[in-house]
Amino acid sequence: MFEQIFDAALFDSATRAMIPILLAALGGMICERAGVFQIALEGMMLAGAFAAVAGSYLAISWTLGVVFGIAAGMLISLALAYGTVTRRGDSIVLGIALNLLAMGLTGFLLPQLFDVRGVFQHPRIDGLDRIAIPVLSDIPWIGPVLFDNTLLTYVALLLVPILWVFLFRTPVGLRLRGVGERPLAAETLGVSPTVYKYGAVLASGALAGLAGAQLSLGNVVQFAENMSSGRGWVAVVAVMLGRAHPVGVLAAAALFALAEALGFRFQGNGLPVQITDALPFVVTLLALIIARKRFARLLDLTTAA
Amino acid sequence: MTFELELRGITKRYPGVLANDAVDLAVRPAEIHAIVGENGAGKTTLMSLLYGLFPPDEGEIFIRGERVEFSSALEAIAAGLGMVHQSFKLFPTLSVADNVVFRQEPRRRGLIDRAASVARVRELADRYGLAVDPEAVVEDLPVGVLQRVEILKALYRDANVLILDEPTAVLTPQERDKLFEVIRRLRDAGGTILFITHKLGEVMAISDRVTVLRNGRAVADLVTAETDPAEITLHMTGRAVDLDRRAPEHEPAQVVLKVDSLTVIGEHGRPAVADASFEVRSGEIVGIAGVAGNGQSELIEALCGLRETDGGAVSLVGMEITGADVAGRRSAGLAYIPEDRYAVGTIRQASVSENLLLGHHRNPSIQHRGWFDRQAVARLARRLVEVFDIKAGSVSGPVSTLSGGNLQKVVVAREMEQGTPLLIAEQPTRGLDIGAIEFVHGQLVRFRDQGGAVLMVSAELSEILALSTRILVMFEGRIVADLDPSKVAEPEIGLYMTGAHLEKAVA
Amino acid sequence: MLRRFPDFLGDMSRRALVSPVTFSLFFAFALAGAIVAVTGGDPLAAGEEMVTGAVTGSGLRNTLGRAVPIVGMALAVSIAFRSGIINLGGEGQMVIGGLAGTMVAIYVPGPGYLIVPLAMLAGAVVGAVWGLLPAYGQTWLRLPILITSLLLNYVARAVTGYLVRFHLLDDAVTLTSTRQVPEAARMPKMPVFGGVSLSLILVMVLVALLWMVYTRSVAGYESQMTGFNMRSARYGGIDVEQRTVQVMVVAGAIGGLIGTHLIIGEALRFIDGELVLAGFAWTGLLVSLLAVNRPIPIFITGLFFSGLQIGGLAMQRNAGVSWRLSQVLQAVVIVAVACRLSVWRSERRRAEPSEADAAGVGEV
Repeated sequence: MFEQIFDAALFDSATRAMIPILLAALGGMICERAGVFQIALEGMMLAGAFAAVAGSYLAISWTLGVVFGIAAGMLISLALAYGTVTRRGDSIVLGIALNLLAMGLTGFLLPQLFDVRGVFQHPRIDGLDRIAIPVLSDIPWIGPVLFDNTLLTYVALLLVPILWVFLFRTPVGLRLRGVGERPLAAETLGVSPTVYKYGAVLASGALAGLAGAQLSLGNVVQFAENMSSGRGWVAVVAVMLGRAHPVGVLAAAALFALAEALGFRFQGNGLPVQITDALPFVVTLLALIIARKRFARLLDLTTAA
Repeated sequence: MTFELELRGITKRYPGVLANDAVDLAVRPAEIHAIVGENGAGKTTLMSLLYGLFPPDEGEIFIRGERVEFSSALEAIAAGLGMVHQSFKLFPTLSVADNVVFRQEPRRRGLIDRAASVARVRELADRYGLAVDPEAVVEDLPVGVLQRVEILKALYRDANVLILDEPTAVLTPQERDKLFEVIRRLRDAGGTILFITHKLGEVMAISDRVTVLRNGRAVADLVTAETDPAEITLHMTGRAVDLDRRAPEHEPAQVVLKVDSLTVIGEHGRPAVADASFEVRSGEIVGIAGVAGNGQSELIEALCGLRETDGGAVSLVGMEITGADVAGRRSAGLAYIPEDRYAVGTIRQASVSENLLLGHHRNPSIQHRGWFDRQAVARLARRLVEVFDIKAGSVSGPVSTLSGGNLQKVVVAREMEQGTPLLIAEQPTRGLDIGAIEFVHGQLVRFRDQGGAVLMVSAELSEILALSTRILVMFEGRIVADLDPSKVAEPEIGLYMTGAHLEKAVA
Repeated sequence: MLRRFPDFLGDMSRRALVSPVTFSLFFAFALAGAIVAVTGGDPLAAGEEMVTGAVTGSGLRNTLGRAVPIVGMALAVSIAFRSGIINLGGEGQMVIGGLAGTMVAIYVPGPGYLIVPLAMLAGAVVGAVWGLLPAYGQTWLRLPILITSLLLNYVARAVTGYLVRFHLLDDAVTLTSTRQVPEAARMPKMPVFGGVSLSLILVMVLVALLWMVYTRSVAGYESQMTGFNMRSARYGGIDVEQRTVQVMVVAGAIGGLIGTHLIIGEALRFIDGELVLAGFAWTGLLVSLLAVNRPIPIFITGLFFSGLQIGGLAMQRNAGVSWRLSQVLQAVVIVAVACRLSVWRSERRRAEPSEADAAGVGEV
C-alpha cells in the first residue's frame, strides 16, 4: 500500500503542484521582509495564468506567454504598491479587492476575447517545454522528478538559494529587511522605504505572475476560470509557516504540494474528488494549528486597529 | 572665532503653536553644550530642524562657518552630525554590526563583508570605551547598550557633532555615569556634544555651556561653571516651581487595596513581579519609584486584570479580586489612568463622549439592560467636559483633535469621576506641559483628600516625592523599600532603585 | 453650533464631491467603459443596457431580489469588520448553512409556516457553528481568523459537494443536485414588483436591528471600540475574546440565513458549486467596505451593486458584453476607495511627530 502511494509519479505531481505555490510564496516572502502584508497573491497568480495563455495564444510562443504573465502580475502589484505605499491605504482591503478584480477581469475577458466560457483550450497555445538537464535527469528516481521539468521549475528552485543570499548577504537585502522592520529608522539613514516597498511588491507581482504561467502553461496548457483555486492563499500561509525564510518557505510549499498530490492519488484510488480537493486546505489548517506560535505578528496585524 | 555649529533665528510654526521662535544657538568646537528646557519648550523640534527631518520656516544653520541647508537627515549625517534620538532608531532583529554599518556596508565581491564590519565596530567601540558585542542581536540587549549602539552608528558615520536627545531617561544612575564618561572621552578627542535634557543635575554635572529654551525661545546662554541650578530654573520656568510637598488633610484610614505576595511571570519566563506585598489605604497616595522596566508595568497590569498572575492574592475593599477580569475589577471599584494615553487610554477614532465612557460604559446610571440611556450619556459627557475644563470643539467630535493635555484630561476625568475607592495612576503627567502637570497633580490630591486611595507609578522622582504619602521602590520585580518621603532624600531612594542597598548588605 | 440649512446642504454636496467614493465610482465606470471599448464593445450601448436592464421590466424585481443576498452578506461581514475581525469566511458560512436549511426544507414534513422558519433556523445555526470554528481558532489557538475563515471556505465547498453527490443526490436530473424543495417549504413571495421574496423584509428588519444595535447598545459600543483599538478595549474591561466569538456566531448565522434563502427562496435546488458562483459573499464584503460597515448605507450600496449585476446580465443578453464586467466595476470601486483617490483632495501630509514620539514611547 505504502509503496503504491509514494512512488516517483507522486513526487512528480508533487513537484508540479509545488512550483506555483513556491513562486508565489517567495514573492510573498520578499514583501513580508519589506513589511508589506501581501494577500493579493491569489489574484496576481490568476491574472498571470490568464495573461500567459493569452500571450502564448497570440504569439504562439511560450516565452511571450511567460512575459505576459509576469507583466499581468506586476500590473496588479503596481496597484497594490501605489495604494498601500503611496496612498497609505489598507493592505488587507486592497488585497481582497485586487483578488476580486483579478477574478472578475479574467472572467470578463475570457468570453470577451476568446468567445469561450469556463475553459480556454487551443492548439495555438504553446505550453512550456520540458527541459531535461543532461546527466542529472538520468539519475534514477529523482532525475525525472526534478531534472526533467519546465524552465520555471528550475527558476523557482534556484530562487531559493539566490534569495537566501540576496536577503542575508547583500547590502540591498540588509536594507530591505531594515525597511521592513523599522521604515523610519531606515529612512533617516537614507534608505527610502517607498523605493524598497515598491520593489518588493513589484517583485512579488512578477513572481506570482510566473506562478500563474507555470499553472496555465506548465501544469496544463489551458486557462480555466478561477484556476488558481486558493493556491495564492496557501502561499500566504506558506510565507507565515516558513517564517519568511527561503528554506522554510520551500519546506512549507513542499508540504502543501505533497498534500495536493496525495489528493490526486487518492482520487485515483476511488476517494471522492470533493474530499481530496479539500486535502491541501485541511493540511494547511493543520499545519497552522501545529505551528501556531509563529503567527503572533499576523494576528497583531489583522486584529489591531 | 568660528563656531562648530551655529543656529541663527530659527523659527518653526505648527498650526496654532510657535514651536521655535527665532532661536539662536552657538556651539564651540570640543565642548559639551547642554540644551535645557521644560517639556514642550521646543528642544526636540529644534534638534529635528537641525538634523534635517523637516525644514525651518525661517533662520539659518552654519557648520564651521559655512551655511548649510539640509533637506534630509542623510545630508545632516554627511555634514558630520550624528543624532541619538530619544526613541532609538534601531532594527531589532539585526545584529549590532549590521545596525551600525547599515547603508554603508563594507563589501567584498558585492556581498557584505561581515568580518570587516564586525572588526570596524569593535575597533570603534574599544577606542571610545563603549562596551558592545558587535555580533549580539539588538532585541536581546538592554536599553543602556542600545544607546551605545546608536552612538556607534554616529561615530561610524564620522560625526563631529553628536546630538543626544534626553539620553538618560532610560538609564540607571550607573549607566548614566558610564555614558558621561563616554561623552567626556569624545570631547577630549575633539568631538562636540549637544546634550538635550530637562534635568538640572545632569546639566551641572556634564556640560561646559548651557542654552535654556522656554516656550520655543532661547532665553539664556550660560557657562555652566559660572551659573547655578537656581538661575537655570528661573530661566526655564520664569517663576519658582511649585513642587512642594502637599501633606494629606487626614490620616490614612481603612485599607482599600491589599496585595499579598503577588508574583507575575514576565516575557522571558522570569518573574517580572516577585512576591510583592503592600497596602494602599484611603486618603493616601502611595508612589512606586523605580527605573523603568523593573516590574512596575507588569505589577499595574496584573492589578488591573490585563495580565495573568502566577501567585499571591489581591483584594479591593475587602473583596477578593485575584482572579477577576478587567470588567469585574472595575465594577469592584478600580479606576486606572494608563501610562500610554494615546495607544491605550483613549481611542483615536472614537468621539470625545465615547472616550469618556470607556471602561465605565456598563455603569447602570447610563445603560439599562444593554441599551444606552442616550440622555444620561450626553449629560455625563457634558458634566465631565465642564468640570475638568476639557477644551474640545464638540463632545461628538473625534478625540484625535484634542491636544495632549486635553486628551489626558479626558482620561483623568473619566477615571476620577466614577466615585471609585481606588485610583491607579501610571505616569500620569508624562509629556505634559507645566500647566497640565499642575492640574493633574491637583486632581490627584483632591481625590486623595476626598478619601480616595491612589497608587501612582512615576519615573519622575520629584513627582513621587511631592505627592506620595508613602514611597515603595521596585527593583528587579521586588519591592525593596517602603519609605516615608518626609524622612528620606533623593539619593537614598536612588540607592534602592539601583539595587545598591543589596550590595551594601552583602559587603 | 447652529448651522443654517442651506449651508448645511452646501456642506453636504461639497463633502459628497470631495469624497473618494464619488471619484472612485466615476473612475470605475470610466475604466470599465475603456475596457469594453478596448475589447471591441460599445461602452455607451453597454451602459444603456445596464441601466435599463436594472430598473425596467422585470429588472426592478430582480434587482430587489438580488439585493437580498448582497445586503445580507454585507451585514454579516459588517458585524465582523466593525469589531476588527477580518472574517473572509462568509462564503463557507453561507454555503454550509444553506445546505442545512435545504435539508430541513426537503426532508422535514409539515406546514410551510413551520418548515420555512425551521429551515431558516437550521441554516442560521449551522452557519453560526461554521463561524465558530475560526473564532475559537483565534481565541484558543491564536490562529488569525483572516486565514482560517478563508481556508474553511474551500473545506465547506468540499463538504457540501460530497454530501450532495453521495448522500442527497437527485437521480432524476443530470445535475449534481439535491431534490427540489417542496412547494410548501418555499419562501413565499410578496405581491409587489411582480413577486419579491419575503426575505427582503427579513433583510430590512436586519438592517434596522443592526442600526439600533450599532448606535445605541452596549454591545454595539463594545464591538466598535474593539474594532478601533483592541488594547484600549481590553483596558476598558471589554472581553475581546468573548466578543469575537459572539460576533462570529452572529455573522455566521446571517450567512446561513442567506444561504438558506438562496435555495428555498430562489434556486429551489442545492446544486453543487452553484451557490459559490455568484460570489454574493464577496460582493457583500465589497458593499460593506464601501458603506464603511454602516447598515443603512449598506442597504443603499447593496441595492446599487445588485442593480449593477442585474443590469450586467441584461447587458450580456442584449449588448454581448459579459456580465462579469459588473464584478470588475465593483472591485475597481473598492480599489479606488482603498487608495483614497480623489482629484479634489488637497490635504498634505504634515511633518508631525508621530503619536508614539509625542507619547514619549521608545521604539525599540
